[in-house]
Amino acid sequence: MSDFPWLRIGWRNLGRNRKRTGLTALGLAVGFVASVFVVGWSEGLMVEMVESATSLVNGQIEIHDAEFRPDRSLYDTIGGREGTDVQALLRVIDGDASVVAAAPRVYAGGLVSSGEATSAGLFMGIDPARELELTRFLDQLVDGRLPVAGQNELLVGEEMARQLSTGVGDELVVVTSGADGSMANDLYTLVGIFRSGLTDLDATFAVMPIGDLQTLLVLPPNRVHEIAVATADPMVAEATAARLADLLPAVDPAIEVVPWTVLNPAMVDYVALADAMYFIIVGIVFGIAIFGVANSMLMATFERRREFAVMLALGATPRSVWAAVLSEGLAVGVVSLALGAVVAFPLMVWFHNAPPDMSRFLGSDVTIFGALLSPSLRVEYNVPFWFACATALIVTALLAALYPAIRAGRTPPADTLSGL
Amino acid sequence: MTYRVVGLLVVGCLVMPRLVAAQTDPLEIMARVDRLLRGESSRGVAAMEVVTEHWDRQMTMELWSLGTDYSLVRLRAPQREAGTATLMAEDDIWNYLPKVDRTIKIPSSMMGGAWMGSHFTNDDLVKESQIIEDYDIEIAFEGDRENVAVWEFLLTPKPEAAIVWGHVEYQVRQDDYMPVWTKFYDEDGELSRTMTYSEFVEFDGRLVPAVMDMHPADKPGERTSIRYEELEFDIDIDQSFFSLRNLQDRR
Repeated sequence: MSDFPWLRIGWRNLGRNRKRTGLTALGLAVGFVASVFVVGWSEGLMVEMVESATSLVNGQIEIHDAEFRPDRSLYDTIGGREGTDVQALLRVIDGDASVVAAAPRVYAGGLVSSGEATSAGLFMGIDPARELELTRFLDQLVDGRLPVAGQNELLVGEEMARQLSTGVGDELVVVTSGADGSMANDLYTLVGIFRSGLTDLDATFAVMPIGDLQTLLVLPPNRVHEIAVATADPMVAEATAARLADLLPAVDPAIEVVPWTVLNPAMVDYVALADAMYFIIVGIVFGIAIFGVANSMLMATFERRREFAVMLALGATPRSVWAAVLSEGLAVGVVSLALGAVVAFPLMVWFHNAPPDMSRFLGSDVTIFGALLSPSLRVEYNVPFWFACATALIVTALLAALYPAIRAGRTPPADTLSGL
Repeated sequence: MTYRVVGLLVVGCLVMPRLVAAQTDPLEIMARVDRLLRGESSRGVAAMEVVTEHWDRQMTMELWSLGTDYSLVRLRAPQREAGTATLMAEDDIWNYLPKVDRTIKIPSSMMGGAWMGSHFTNDDLVKESQIIEDYDIEIAFEGDRENVAVWEFLLTPKPEAAIVWGHVEYQVRQDDYMPVWTKFYDEDGELSRTMTYSEFVEFDGRLVPAVMDMHPADKPGERTSIRYEELEFDIDIDQSFFSLRNLQDRR
């Protein structure tokens, strides 16, 4: 006999009542699949939310003059009034291994007018080539093309175009305040219309080449409000921001390097809350499962009282009986886990790579915390959580077997065998 | 602000200051001040100086007004912006931009925006004429301040009025009905900006404050000053003058 005959006995006992074993294992397996899937889906939402919030327009890191936020004053350019060597900054930023793209930006508020209609606009001056690598909202224009520098061309969002009843090729009047206090105004040709999906943005943003906006605002080319930075993974944004803050030259006024986690704390809180929720979900699922499993185990041990009585009468210790019953619980857990894994993993791979489109049921895109969510059931892999779930399953099976095991170990041999 | 600019400028002291002494109904006094300052119509030339943390600007402008609902302001200088004009007709404001030869109606969402880069908002242009309709007015103080007999009015926006201020205080001299200052408070009761009136001189037979200074409370050192250089009242002008076509008429 091996050192652990109880494991083998426990395993063999599973075969005693295969239907019951099967149902018990199925209960645990379904719990496992449900937990992994629900959390995968939630994680999918989180990842999409963070990616959407950070890569649609903003970037994972923003670099400003320390005074720029929250007023976003026209005068608070990086390096203050003197400006800065933007190309040198970009070279330093591009040099970081985690940075995949960086783009300078200039912002200003003002009016956009077409014919009779006028709406408030937020002008964004961009470097089109750099911006395309960083953000997604200009990737697929609804109509037209990107503006060419020096031609007085601009892009507006779909909603603004609708409000102004304007289309590609039309002439728009832009009015804003120049940095010298003048009423800056000029005519621009609308060359393209974008759709980010975020209504506010599509109703207010007007995009033009950075040099054109600087000319309009009477800002020299070395004055920009922001350098937006994209990192390969939103989760490394904080570490990258800290690294960049050290790398960038210490100037006065100070340069601020802000990761999305600081810019959008609500989203960070939400992600943390969701993480905590995962364990509550696991607790609930296996909390329910534990009673089902305990019930089966109790039945299984009760109908074997004579067997335990014989074991005890032949000199087995109560401890050995516990070991036998707990082994049985463990065996149920292992079977359930195998079953659950066989179901869960193909399902996860499927829903990760080809998520079913739920727009028929959920309508079109949903906006939350300034992030755009598509109505799909895309799941994300959370491998540590899978292991947590597997552990929870085994622990559940063992805990469920604990009480039946103790009872089995206390079976009074003489009384039981005499039929009392 | 045009209004205030025009209106306040248009002080008319000629109307019976002597009969006025016993008058203490706040509405009556405010109405009288308004009448004295405004005239039926007016034309003037004023210099506006805007001083901010980042730049200083001098502008010269010509202004016309008719009643409480119409006014037109056209920049004469600086040369680069000459011809830029604002038309206020009832509650609407249009800006004419000579550089692009286009007229833009200011959308309601931008009425709180700065007018011509000054510390006045577009709203100031249209709201100044409606003090009596928009506010509940009471006398908060009556007596001497620095040896000058004054009234101080407390103006509280009526619930239905679209006013951004929590309340407004307004000091008026008793002997000649000249305004001394107006203080605008936000909804938390914090002073938001102060407008002071000074250099009371006669234009076209009416006493008016020739200089008005607006000081934003949160930006010490910044101000917008308007100084009247010419002002005439009850001129030959009618509503057709305040048209979009005339707005675009470059001089």
